[in-house]
Amino acid sequence: MTTLSVHNISKRFPQSLQPAVSNVSFDLQDGEILALVGPSGCGKTTTLRLIAGLERPDAGSIAIQGRVVASEVVFLPPERRGVGMVFQDHALFPHLNVQENVAFGLRGKKPAEIRATVREMLHLVGLEALAGRFPHALSGGERQRVALARALAPRPVLVLMDEPFSSLDNDLRLEMREQVRGLLQAMRATVLFVTHDQEEALYMGNRLAVFQSGRLEQLGAPEQIFHASATRFVAEFMGNSSFLTGEVTLNGICTEVGLLPQTVALPPSTQVEVAVRADDVDFHPDRNGNGVIIDRTFRGVMNIYRLRLDSGLTLHAFKEHTAILPVGERVQAFINAGHDLNVFMEGRRV
Amino acid sequence: MQRIVPTWTFLLRLPRRSFSYRLALAAGLVALFVAIPLAYIFIRAAGAEPAAWERLLQTRIWLLLGNTLLLVLAVTSGALAIGVSMAWLTERTDLPGRRFLRWMLALPLAIPAYIGGIVHLALLRPRGGMIPKVLEALFGQPVFTPSPLGFWGAAFILTLFTFPYVYLLSGAAFRSLHASLEEAARTLGCRPWQALWRVTLPALRPGLAAGALLVALDILAEYGTVALLRYETFSSAIFVQLSGRYDRSAASVLSGVLVSLAVLILWFEVRLQGQARFTQMESGWRPAPPVALGRWRAAAFLLAAGVVFASLVVPVGVLLAWSVQALLDPATLQMVFQSGSRGLGDFLWNSLWTSSLAAGAAVALALPVALFAVRYPNRLSRWIARFCQVGYAIPGVVIALSLVLLVNRALPFLYATPLVIVIAYVLRHMPQAVRAAESALRQLSPTLEEAARMAGRSAGSAFLQVTLPLILPGLLAGAALVFLTSLKELPATLLLRPAGFDTLAVRVWIWASDGFYAQAAPAALLLVLASALPLSFLLRREHIFK
Repeated sequence: MTTLSVHNISKRFPQSLQPAVSNVSFDLQDGEILALVGPSGCGKTTTLRLIAGLERPDAGSIAIQGRVVASEVVFLPPERRGVGMVFQDHALFPHLNVQENVAFGLRGKKPAEIRATVREMLHLVGLEALAGRFPHALSGGERQRVALARALAPRPVLVLMDEPFSSLDNDLRLEMREQVRGLLQAMRATVLFVTHDQEEALYMGNRLAVFQSGRLEQLGAPEQIFHASATRFVAEFMGNSSFLTGEVTLNGICTEVGLLPQTVALPPSTQVEVAVRADDVDFHPDRNGNGVIIDRTFRGVMNIYRLRLDSGLTLHAFKEHTAILPVGERVQAFINAGHDLNVFMEGRRV
Repeated sequence: MQRIVPTWTFLLRLPRRSFSYRLALAAGLVALFVAIPLAYIFIRAAGAEPAAWERLLQTRIWLLLGNTLLLVLAVTSGALAIGVSMAWLTERTDLPGRRFLRWMLALPLAIPAYIGGIVHLALLRPRGGMIPKVLEALFGQPVFTPSPLGFWGAAFILTLFTFPYVYLLSGAAFRSLHASLEEAARTLGCRPWQALWRVTLPALRPGLAAGALLVALDILAEYGTVALLRYETFSSAIFVQLSGRYDRSAASVLSGVLVSLAVLILWFEVRLQGQARFTQMESGWRPAPPVALGRWRAAAFLLAAGVVFASLVVPVGVLLAWSVQALLDPATLQMVFQSGSRGLGDFLWNSLWTSSLAAGAAVALALPVALFAVRYPNRLSRWIARFCQVGYAIPGVVIALSLVLLVNRALPFLYATPLVIVIAYVLRHMPQAVRAAESALRQLSPTLEEAARMAGRSAGSAFLQVTLPLILPGLLAGAALVFLTSLKELPATLLLRPAGFDTLAVRVWIWASDGFYAQAAPAALLLVLASALPLSFLLRREHIFK
């Protein structure tokens, strides 16, 4: 069943020339976790706030469980949308303790029911022992869990999470996102998750929506985004790709590091760009090679080499952890992917 | 807000520096200076002959207690209602002209309440007030107008001139609040008004409590207005005992009770704050978007304009009119500039030098206390810093009484010199200097001083070359606050001044009490102007007043 349906929404803020969100559409199925990812200022948070009812769209419509909550004629305020939200700064009410924070959205229910729900939620996030604490006496991870429990307590049909882990330090962030993903999946919650961190998006999302400058660049499963990036931007942002310029020939694509035997439906001598990641590149020492090693980072399980080609382009290449070569060594770099690479013409995949 | 840390956690985080005995001694001496006058009041109160206690307990104390508490309660609630609603209107809504209104709502702080009282009394007095007279002439018969005398009048006037404390503090609190708090309340099912009541206002509690405390202590200490409007409170009763009947032991007893009351309020506020130490969340702060008032816009604007009219336009306007009248009338003009051997210039000079000296001395004394408390946080330093703030709770009349008794006994060479007035100002207003110095020092990383030491400076020159220049703006703000409040101070000045030593406040009071309004007006205007300057300096430190 479709929980959320967003249709062609746009939003421009009065002070800015560029629209914050422009013509965005997507659907969210029951029990799915969709991660909205993109660089800061790309419109992902505004999209979330439009769905929450904290902003009003200029055009387009939003429906939650088949009920239109925002369109040209309808606008339901946030309190009547049945949507839970976890804020970036957690936004715990400073004058209420943990228990009261979690119970905040349950007003109007029977006291016994409220008590039971609060206990259940605190049990789920593992904070029963801290029920009486005030937010200022909690650690970052504890605040995060209270915010989640508070958002989940009224059993919302949809949970919105706005960069919920960004205020935590690195170790805690990894730990928290494992816990939170497990919890969300156990509850079969339908979640819209906003992040600027590609890795976090890949980890949290069943599907990913990549945003740039207010537009939805690509929507799909993580593998699809990775292997079949729709635009140059997606390949660059999600895959840390470098781009080799090449020319289409009858046998493949001719690039600086050799002929790529991959045929594309383009006439010969068309200029294209080939996205290569560190795992697609290999090299061997060669005094007459096409590049030079400028840096090596030892990562334990492997070495990451940085090569500068004679054209000035920098490529990254993985090597096994025993393959140690000195910086300054001249090498011959070549493509060793074992699969088709993403090829772009004028920024779009071909 | 001061954090209460159990002693053992302090031991775990042993300061990088060892204890400074010199600083501890200096801070201790300042605390002693504050402690002696206060302790002396209690000694005298306890040592008063039982007959005095009995007489007062039977008759006066209960009436005064009831009167005082009633007034404190009424004015504090009134100031909270006006201050918070005005702060909400100017900080959180699309009220037209809110930038201008912010200034207009803060400026009544420059008008001493008794001057406002004088103006409103002259306008509304039941017999002979300007408005009743005009109305009578218009309708040919007396028309009922509300009287500014008594409880309701005093509550009205004092609310009008103390609400800016609440306005400024709650305005700052409204601005520092995260947008996401209200948004979170909305996504959890609150309508906008419910979010305001259930989340915003409770989350502002520390700011509101701080404002309410300032108002409550101000009302306990208020003499001029209540005396003028003939409503008897502890302060005015002590004043009468001291100046009229000269019964010092009765005054001591009353003062003991009054100070206990003030300390009780202070303690209550500390408790309230201690329970609710609200953290400021660090990341992603975003101001809340203004609320659209819609069709209430005009009504809200009229309400704010009405408050500005009564608390600023009326007093300043009437003072201006009277001043013009005084300047046009040669006889009055003569009196304004030359009464006996002295004139307006002398009063202004006396006001300025006593207040400036007090401001300088208060900051100088506050500095070691604040340094000790911030750089060497331990039980002793915290206790000293707290103790130096009890001046808030000691009304001017009590400080005057204590100094009269002490100076007579111990320091007769100071007797009947203006220096006693300066000492009273310092004692009463030092808390403001201590708080300002403390907050300036807290914003400064101690590593700055350490870096200066590593670069080869001695402790003293590191302080002079690095710390002092950086905390100077904060210290100046503290000094401005002390200067401003000293300038407005009335009862202690009246009681302690040597014969013939008049400040602006004293002269305005004496002339106005005798009914020479026009004659008093230029001095009152000068006083308001002299107060408005440091006030605008203080307001400009807040970015929204730029």
